[in-house]
Amino acid sequence: MALQILLNFFLALVWMFMTVSFTPTGFIVGYLVGLGIIVLMRRFFSYRLYTSRAWAVISLILLFLKELFLSSIQVLQIVVRPNMNIKPAIFELETELQHDWEVTLLSALITLTPGTLVVGISDDQKRLYIHALDFEDIEDAVSSIKNTFERAILEVSRP
Amino acid sequence: MRTNDVMLQTATKVVTFIILLFAVHIFFAGHYTPGGGFVGGLLTTSAIVLLMLAFDMNTVRKILPINYVVMTAVGLLLAVGTAAASIVFDVPFFTHAYDYFDLPLLGETSLHSAMLFDAGVYLVVVGVTMTIIQTIGEDE
Repeated sequence: MALQILLNFFLALVWMFMTVSFTPTGFIVGYLVGLGIIVLMRRFFSYRLYTSRAWAVISLILLFLKELFLSSIQVLQIVVRPNMNIKPAIFELETELQHDWEVTLLSALITLTPGTLVVGISDDQKRLYIHALDFEDIEDAVSSIKNTFERAILEVSRP
Repeated sequence: MRTNDVMLQTATKVVTFIILLFAVHIFFAGHYTPGGGFVGGLLTTSAIVLLMLAFDMNTVRKILPINYVVMTAVGLLLAVGTAAASIVFDVPFFTHAYDYFDLPLLGETSLHSAMLFDAGVYLVVVGVTMTIIQTIGEDE
């Protein structure tokens, strides 16, 4: 991925020398033209295009903002409820993430969304222990995290 | 004996991108400086031919899955369409129009409808030359 970005910068520089426009504008135009050529030749690379990974990062951020908004509303509803009939629980989530930064990111995202909180990670980094504010069903809780955050993180780290 | 052409392949990987970039530059430079659709198209073809020399035809077909016959047809349609569009504006066939536009990034740019015709020429040149080379290359 880094090689593609480097190639794109190199093409932008070549474009600047070719058009004799040593300005930021010339660089941006050259970068865009180079990006177009790299997209055209995308099957030439053994790994995927760097723009798709950049897009995966952006969609992960958008997903986090959406989850943050929705779960904030849920917690708000619990807080303003007159009777406190919540069911707190700690459950276990098996994760297939491997790298340190992936597990850290997943824990951070789970913690930052209101309603759930990571209280511990097992030594082999395969299980997360999560505290939920209002717990109903383990299947639901696990699958909702797996389908949103874990899948989005896997999309980012896919080679 | 098949020699190891790792040097050719590695150099091709970089040079192809520079040739393609130069082709784009030549194509857009055509109005005020030497260049244009024909040379740009030939340069693009030379980049693809370089790929074919360094690798093989099936690899190149995987990298660029383009039907060059369709590409030629699209280019011809674009050229004829640009020429025929003058009829709509009640001017003789092949009359071109141009104006100055303030584009983001590029600043004040003269956009000429001859560029669209040139794009048609570009597609036809790439399509025809690639069809010729592919047809001869595939002949066993």
